Amino acid sequence: MARILLVEDEELMLKALEFRLKKDEHEVEIAKDGREALLKIQSADFDLIITDIMLPFVSGLEIIGKVKQTPHLAKTPMIVLSAVGLENVVLEAFELGVDDFITKPFNLTELTIRVKKLLKK
Amino acid sequence: MLLSVSVGEYLKSLFFDRLPFFPDNIRISLFIIMFCLIATIEIYLYVFLKKAKNKRDNYLNANWKEKISNMLSNIIIYGDEDDGLENVVNHFLPRFKKLPLKRKRVRNILIEEIRIYHSNFTGFTADVLKELFIKLELHKYTLEKLKSNYWEIQIEGIREIAQFWLYEYDQLVFALTDHEHEIVRMEAQTAHVRLNRDNPFKFLDHMRGRILPWHQLILFEIITKAKYVKIPSFVKWLGSRNDSVVIFCLKLIGYYQQLDALAEIVKLLKHPQEEIRKMSVWVIGKMEAEFVEEELLKIYPKETQKVKLEILSALGKISSGNYLSFLKDCLLTPDFEIKMGATKAILGHGRKGKLMLQELQSVVSAKNSQIIAHVLDARI
Repeated sequence: MARILLVEDEELMLKALEFRLKKDEHEVEIAKDGREALLKIQSADFDLIITDIMLPFVSGLEIIGKVKQTPHLAKTPMIVLSAVGLENVVLEAFELGVDDFITKPFNLTELTIRVKKLLKK
Repeated sequence: MLLSVSVGEYLKSLFFDRLPFFPDNIRISLFIIMFCLIATIEIYLYVFLKKAKNKRDNYLNANWKEKISNMLSNIIIYGDEDDGLENVVNHFLPRFKKLPLKRKRVRNILIEEIRIYHSNFTGFTADVLKELFIKLELHKYTLEKLKSNYWEIQIEGIREIAQFWLYEYDQLVFALTDHEHEIVRMEAQTAHVRLNRDNPFKFLDHMRGRILPWHQLILFEIITKAKYVKIPSFVKWLGSRNDSVVIFCLKLIGYYQQLDALAEIVKLLKHPQEEIRKMSVWVIGKMEAEFVEEELLKIYPKETQKVKLEILSALGKISSGNYLSFLKDCLLTPDFEIKMGATKAILGHGRKGKLMLQELQSVVSAKNSQIIAHVLDARI
């Protein structure tokens, strides 16, 4: 069981992913915008962070930057889940240090496999 | 109570007993005051009822939305791929069938929620949602939408057909690809490209309306991203009377590097439309078609500024080196943009071009030397 932070502003997606990850017996914390995500990151440790790119207040890329610059969080694996599949956004995310990038629409089973794989690492 | 009775009696005596004895201007004023008073009360009443109705609608919508969203979430959580598509759908179907789907509100919320979920997932989840959509017979309403007199509703129908891959309705969508309404036409064409695997561009044969630049972008994205789309030879549409079709096909020819189209593209260099000539030159440059360079040089003197600049850019991309002296001569023209275009084209020739520019820098005028310095600056 891992502690996962899920950052997503779409209510439906958030709910679906939260339930799915909980079904796999993970402890899931949710954040509906970038600001809330940053607050949660500062106050607790996570084994994995899954974030969208387009978020209110603070973008997903800024969250990645912040996580990777914070010494005790820098090694936390991160997955980006976004509808923005633009090459430059994907490259920027990887340059900032994300471990995986999934473009919406996506296969839920594929996501859970990738989560398992990253957590094993 | 006393006050309301006395006000009522006062108004009664004013309008029924004393009114006939007032002068005309006072009587007219009183009627206007009365009219305004009644109108104000009516408006307030209308606003109040409208607000109350909106509040009730929002409340009901939110309730149904939450309920339906939870039901769909359950499919995502508990719908196990190992159980098979049919079993999962049949397991959840009875609960959805209990929903009052004859009520437009509930039906529309369900369709919308299924669409949102479906657009975010692929694989098993998406298949289950599609199957659910069909088994609940929601596609029948999609057909009704397609026949609607309102274009916004027609678009909803087209989008549902495209999203749920309802191939059997492709012909109905195809009929709308030449619709008089620009947006319906655009949506139908986009859907047709998704649905028709054998001949996705059939609509280009009969298209009368323009393909707007932003629609070209959407189509371009679908065509280039979807692996299943069968890419035809776009040369057959270069003779179209619809200029936007020709421009769109030229872009795709350039993207897919369809070299067999070059002979037809050369013919388009004499097309009366400037935009088509410009696009043809762009494709020639993109394909680095050295053997067409001479044709470009032939048309250059009589061309417009835009096309001239595109020709210079194409010569830079082809970079055969055969026309470096021509590009050098362009530096002598008084036109700044031409000078800049020619300098960039020379630089496009790689090392040879760079050396030439460095040599030229010391012999040309101060202004030209500045242009060359600007183009040679690696930071820009």
